[in-house]
Amino acid sequence: MLLFRSKETVTQWCEARGLPKRPSINLDQLWYLALTWYKNRLTVESRRPGPDEMVEIFARVGLEGPFWDPKADQWQSAT
Amino acid sequence: MDFDTAVKMNIYETIARTTQAPTSADVAEALSTSPEAVEAALERLHKKRLLVPEPGNPSRIRMAPPFSGVETSFRVKVQDNVYYANCAWDALGIAAALQADAIIEAADGYSGEPMMLEVRNGQPVPQSCVIHFAVPAARWWDDIIYT
Repeated sequence: MLLFRSKETVTQWCEARGLPKRPSINLDQLWYLALTWYKNRLTVESRRPGPDEMVEIFARVGLEGPFWDPKADQWQSAT
Repeated sequence: MDFDTAVKMNIYETIARTTQAPTSADVAEALSTSPEAVEAALERLHKKRLLVPEPGNPSRIRMAPPFSGVETSFRVKVQDNVYYANCAWDALGIAAALQADAIIEAADGYSGEPMMLEVRNGQPVPQSCVIHFAVPAARWWDDIIYT
């Protein structure tokens, strides 16, 4: 993922590369994901969330649908 | 603690303390084992999506998320230490992992214009920005360095 100053520069980035505009999130959503993924990363017990956990975590910040599902078949052969 | 966990902990503790990712030889010396045994552990940890060895050089670590083993455009300053993150998510992740305030120097993904994010007292300081995901979650690890 990439960081942008505004939605306008996201649009410019996508147009310059001929890529479709895909989901964007805000700083609060990103902070929640960063905390959830990494707050225990320096501990022995730390591990990466599994696919089903990821779906639940994303849903907690309003990110739902196949784009946010690590098991979504429709993306396996997509460009 | 099993061997792979010991390798993982040594890597993370070393990066947190020194800001630099250790080589397999560094980890081997610390754990009184061989670099080859450490590199085998790195590959197993890679399969679990916990670490990414440097492509073409299994003795080096490219990513120990949220930390990057190489300099990137996400520079994270914590007290007097400077770490590098793999992306915006990981840049905040360094502050989360270290449970510390951080100042993140980055740039707009299109214009290259400098941007700064800050974590203070356990929260990001409000800032106008957008994080765009070009790759769906199911494909993040097809090429995690690009993602």
